Amino acid sequence: MKKPLFLLAAVLIAAALPAFGQGRSSAEKWENSIVELEVTRKTYDYIQPWSKTTAKSRKIGTVIGSREILTTATGLNDKILIRIQKGGRGRWFNGEVKWMDYHANVALITSDSDSFWEGLKPIELADKDFNRDGLQIARWRSGKMEARKADFYEWRDRTLQLSTVSCLHLGANTEADGIGSAEPVFDGEKLVGICVGKGGDTASIMPYAFIRPVLKAQREGKFAGLGIFDFTWQPTRNPDTLEYLGLKGEPRGVVVIKVPEKKDRKSVMKVRDLILEVDGHSIDNEGEYKDPEYGHLTLENLTTHKGRSAGDKVKIKVLRDGKELEVTYTMPAADYGRDLIPDYIFDQEPEYLMTAGIVFQPLTEDFLRRWGASWTRRAPFRLLYFRSKESTEKTPSLVVLTVVIPDPINLGYEAIRFQVVDKVNDKQIHTLKDLTEAMKTPKDGFHVVEFIKGSAAQRLVLDAAETDNATQRVLGRYGIPKDHYFAGEPTGAGLMENPLRGRGPRRPKGN
Amino acid sequence: MAGNNQSLDHSNVKTHCHAVLKRILPFALLWTLVLSLVGAEPEKSVVQITNYGQQPNWVQPWRFNQVRAGSGTGFLIEGRKIMTNAHVVSWGKEIQVKRYQDPTPWRARVKYISHEADLAILEIEDERFFEGMEPLNIGDLPYVRSSVTTYGYPAGGQQISYTRGVVSRVEMHSYVHSGNRAFLTVQTDAAINPGNSGGPVIQDGNVVGVAFQGIPGLENAGFFIPPPVINHFLEDIADGTHEGFPRAGIQIQPLQNPAYRKMLKLKNDSVGARIDSLLPIPGIKDLLREDDVLMKVKDYEVGADGTVIYRGNRLGVSVIFQEAQAGDKVPLTVWRDGKEVNLEVPMSAYNDDRREGNQYDMLPRFYVYGGLVFTPLSLDYLRGSRGTGQELIYELNYRRREKPETMRPEPIVLASVLSHEVNANMGVRGQILVDKINGVKINKLEDVIKAIKEAKDAKHVIKFMGGGSFECLDRKAADNAHSEILATYGIREDRRL
Repeated sequence: MKKPLFLLAAVLIAAALPAFGQGRSSAEKWENSIVELEVTRKTYDYIQPWSKTTAKSRKIGTVIGSREILTTATGLNDKILIRIQKGGRGRWFNGEVKWMDYHANVALITSDSDSFWEGLKPIELADKDFNRDGLQIARWRSGKMEARKADFYEWRDRTLQLSTVSCLHLGANTEADGIGSAEPVFDGEKLVGICVGKGGDTASIMPYAFIRPVLKAQREGKFAGLGIFDFTWQPTRNPDTLEYLGLKGEPRGVVVIKVPEKKDRKSVMKVRDLILEVDGHSIDNEGEYKDPEYGHLTLENLTTHKGRSAGDKVKIKVLRDGKELEVTYTMPAADYGRDLIPDYIFDQEPEYLMTAGIVFQPLTEDFLRRWGASWTRRAPFRLLYFRSKESTEKTPSLVVLTVVIPDPINLGYEAIRFQVVDKVNDKQIHTLKDLTEAMKTPKDGFHVVEFIKGSAAQRLVLDAAETDNATQRVLGRYGIPKDHYFAGEPTGAGLMENPLRGRGPRRPKGN
Repeated sequence: MAGNNQSLDHSNVKTHCHAVLKRILPFALLWTLVLSLVGAEPEKSVVQITNYGQQPNWVQPWRFNQVRAGSGTGFLIEGRKIMTNAHVVSWGKEIQVKRYQDPTPWRARVKYISHEADLAILEIEDERFFEGMEPLNIGDLPYVRSSVTTYGYPAGGQQISYTRGVVSRVEMHSYVHSGNRAFLTVQTDAAINPGNSGGPVIQDGNVVGVAFQGIPGLENAGFFIPPPVINHFLEDIADGTHEGFPRAGIQIQPLQNPAYRKMLKLKNDSVGARIDSLLPIPGIKDLLREDDVLMKVKDYEVGADGTVIYRGNRLGVSVIFQEAQAGDKVPLTVWRDGKEVNLEVPMSAYNDDRREGNQYDMLPRFYVYGGLVFTPLSLDYLRGSRGTGQELIYELNYRRREKPETMRPEPIVLASVLSHEVNANMGVRGQILVDKINGVKINKLEDVIKAIKEAKDAKHVIKFMGGGSFECLDRKAADNAHSEILATYGIREDRRL
């Protein structure tokens, strides 16, 4: 009964999508180079950090070398299992990450199964400009190879998906929907890039020009991570500002308004420096330079172009106190911990400490993201405000009381939540380790937890002698597996399957 | 003379009542109701108020928005005063009052207004207005479950409207007119609708409240301002000036946790709430400390949850402090270092946080130079500009509590930039806080004017708060363009201080 139904569906799809029919002949030549990846990973409920569930997601990989599949790093964090399928159907093989970098959003996947690699053919990464009219986006869809036309639109610089680092991207208009899961983009036999997203009609594609040098450095064991410019600048459309800074001649350059405060790194850039040139490229009032190959790009693109990475030196010509001078700027590595609130913490279960029913967690963006898609507006304002702050020696990080799990020991404190901890037992608290340490020395038999000024409640007090008992009681009564998790400790306890997610493939299959 | 008139009328009322009483004696239950309605005839003292008001524009503060007509209710009280809500007459340019079944509109003006308590007193110059009108008396805080009747001119018709209900509960509640003050409030299931605002809530012929607000989504719940708040306002203005409600300046947290009580050497019972933090009010800071436990205010014992029993209702202890007038001393007992200490706390009106709430009848201060519009940061500005900038929100709502030592007396915002060739190239177009001008820290609007006036360099340098961005403005070009910009944008004066 079922078979004719499926056949009918296939015919209908083919008829409805003429582009699909057209691309089919060329699509066939990629069938042996494109694979589908299924990633199972741990996800966390940050308000109950001990509660772990799993999620499954699918993405596309492209065979680019001997036993090497290129894909993006998105969705590979906290992975438990990677499975690979070739030909759009049939057996799933186990895969593993050979190498990846979250900032660069590049991952290489491999499999130790010989039979998996049988019949697969690596495709070459483009190394120079390509035929802009002949781009095709390809992927496995419902067991079929789908190829869609993509029209080159522009070169642009965009921040990478899991980072604040900028790199060259390619914008191409396409009708293909739901793309952004590392679908390859081809010009004939050459891989031009992989899709990282789509806005409106335009697909955002991470191009060969960025991927190639990253992979080259990786193969040579020289990849040092992406670098950044850690100073902030503002455009200088205002000629009065340029005159004030003492610039003679044509308006150009952008002005530095902020340099990092850290003591260990003396900034070679100074506030009110007018950046005139980076790497010999003239910088205009908008902060853009003209690349001979790619046109106008923001100066931040120079952090990653042509395989540049952390530790590389960049010559920057500035106008300082009315005089032109060249400084050598050494690029620091992109680091999620640079801000007071880390952007991401990958491959690590959320840290927490539950003591006497009171849950403490480090303040991270992962935690704030639990407020959903519009978290930057919906999360508690006071916690969000810290996003604009840098991590400094004085305040490297913050610990937050996130929730109070009711128990007789914390009677009267149930309403306290989302408050930043200042001191515990008179000791300054920046990390959960600080907190554990401080808890070892109660004050006259009491733990005194103080919050930063302006909090709804300034402090709470616990009976130190009762605390351990109460912690055990809360663990038992509320089914919490462990009273803490600190980074680096073995994990495992409490993993549970989310009944709503990860029930295998959701779409119908033709085999 | 006025006193004589009153007693005369009073005896008339009594005789009238006796006649009624004979007629409807069998309906004992109805009797009291009819007595209060027919006997006192409060509707003759209830007026309809129409306010033609005009609000300024906070983003372009020299401009005014269109004139709007609003309508509410008021009532006559002792001393030829019309009492109503502050929100009925706020921003009023022309206020008209109509008496019960009288077609004449009478001109009125605001004599006293308390935006925090949402109460106002109007006066009417024309003596004829008061002919045949009796002032209503202010009664006591009504008991829960007792019946009340509202009188007013709500939407849905032209005639006076009555609704009846019971007192549902008595509680401390936020007053939405100011937005950042909470006072004693009575909830009733008598319908209170737009237009009822300012109308009396009557029990036994006396005013036991002024209808003033509702909560969207709640059914059969209207709120009125009860006599303790009304009387406080009347006492306050008795000397001809309005000081406002004083605040104790203490933030209280419950003290129910046995360990916390033990640490403070306090008995584990339900008495005493903890002073968690103190507002920076001089006098209070030297007298009280954090972790002092508030045991008693006047004769009211403070519960561990920070409440007292006030005329049969459990209410936040601030209700007691609010009874005091500015300048009064409130006796209290605190628990400190294991023993009771008796103190007298001086009460003063605290207005430093007014710009965090809605402000009324105060035209925004501003200064325009080179097309740059400088104005103090306020909730009104933030709402007017639909501002969502984190720095602005932090400055307005959080800095005072978190870093009071860094608080500027009057944070100044660049509200907007009026386009002109002198400023056309500036990247900043408004909604940003001003840190320094020509190196001078900006603590108030006058600092902006001074820094610009005393500039010597060719360029003004305006540095903003937050990320460290700045803009330059050519001094000579801006000076020369000054009158042209004012003329182009129809600004009569470059400043309002």
